[in-house]
Amino acid sequence: MILIQTFMNNLKTFSVNKKRVGFIKFLSGLIFIFIFLFILNLSSPQIKNYFFIASNPVENRFWIAGQTVAKTFDSVLKSGSLIKENTDLKNENHKLLSQIIFLQAEKKSAQVHAEILNKNIENEFDLAIVDVIGMDIHNELTINKGSDDGILEKMPVINQQNILFGKVSKVYKNFSKVTLISDKNSIVNVKIKKDQDIVINSEEELLKEDQEKPYETYGVVKGKGNLQAFLDLVQINDELNPGDVLVTSSLENTFPKDLLVGKIFDVKKNDQSPHQQAEIDLFFDVKVDNLFVITNYKR
Amino acid sequence: MWAKYLLIVFIFYIFALLQNSFFVNFSLLGINPNLVFILFILLIFFEKKPTNFSNIYFAIIAGFFLDIFSSIPLGWSILILIVIGYLIKKIKEILSEKNDSYPYAYFAIIFTVTFFTYSFLLNLVVYFILKSDVFFNINLVFVFKIIYNLILASGLFFVYKKFMVENNSRQQRLF
Repeated sequence: MILIQTFMNNLKTFSVNKKRVGFIKFLSGLIFIFIFLFILNLSSPQIKNYFFIASNPVENRFWIAGQTVAKTFDSVLKSGSLIKENTDLKNENHKLLSQIIFLQAEKKSAQVHAEILNKNIENEFDLAIVDVIGMDIHNELTINKGSDDGILEKMPVINQQNILFGKVSKVYKNFSKVTLISDKNSIVNVKIKKDQDIVINSEEELLKEDQEKPYETYGVVKGKGNLQAFLDLVQINDELNPGDVLVTSSLENTFPKDLLVGKIFDVKKNDQSPHQQAEIDLFFDVKVDNLFVITNYKR
Repeated sequence: MWAKYLLIVFIFYIFALLQNSFFVNFSLLGINPNLVFILFILLIFFEKKPTNFSNIYFAIIAGFFLDIFSSIPLGWSILILIVIGYLIKKIKEILSEKNDSYPYAYFAIIFTVTFFTYSFLLNLVVYFILKSDVFFNINLVFVFKIIYNLILASGLFFVYKKFMVENNSRQQRLF
């Protein structure tokens, strides 16, 4: 009887010990992982930079290959809609021809267009040309210049058509990350250029516009993630129309003014809200080779 | 054995590069496939007897390559993937295995659940660690994101099953 009791006690002690050993193993594993992660993070920027340098040539080739394949797919997929597109283009062409007849002050019109669409930023800002080499799962672009090339955080990033992409969010030694304006945390102050502000039909209208400055509508473009954004905080009384173009207003001092942002395609009005919203098409396309970082814009 | 683990590191690296460069050009609604995550789930799912070592090893490699190309501090994805690896191990234990050791339905369920968990935990990290203003939201785009990744994962599932699993069982029969 005593023997059995002793045996049972030993068995209990053994199972308790086994549990303890398991718990100690789990705890030591957990501690090991945390120490490993802590050490890893001590030199995180250096490790990332090293990986960038090592991966850059291959990543760049994959990027170019992806662009080529995507363009081929695009042309195959879009071939069906070519006839419709051709008809639309013909109609558009007729419209444009009729407008050209009215364009007496061609030179002045060109100047206005240039002012709106192409602000000649080269004269105002110092630009650093960068190659796009990738985009991560958080939709942040990777560019091939970093602190060694004078890139700093919050510098605006545009393309050669003055289309705003976003701002530099993280700078490493030889590369940087760019947060796009479609990022969930991105807010850009914009002004809305009416469709008719951009297409000027006659000299009289041009002169009229010069004399009376048009009333401008302001709002903010908020990112939705996944390369999408929407227009918000536009006064309920302001008129918004599909086709209106959004340009930066520079109110937040992060981006220079008159950079192209996007185009409205659906207006959402709610009488109970003091502001109206709109769905927009952003102008930027991440399938690009080169971008420009504005390096001397005061922040 | 070690050659297999080294090869896995290399494949993860190639998948990470493809994910960050090549597949960006094939984004639908701004969504890119998460190849590294798909490969991680495939490896864990097809592991005959998933041990803690293999789970942690795959999690460290996959997590490392997920974090190295993003702005997230190194290690967060590793921790999330360790949790997910453990989750898969438990789900596999619960689901009874009959004729087919690797049924597709199980894989689809496991992938969907773990992809959701991964996205949720990653958003938690971004929200609290990187001080993001926006928390996790489930919308149509997120549903589409899961579907897009599931379609790609399903394709890779059948390729993996055809070439890796059937080859292994044929070799076992020969010996």
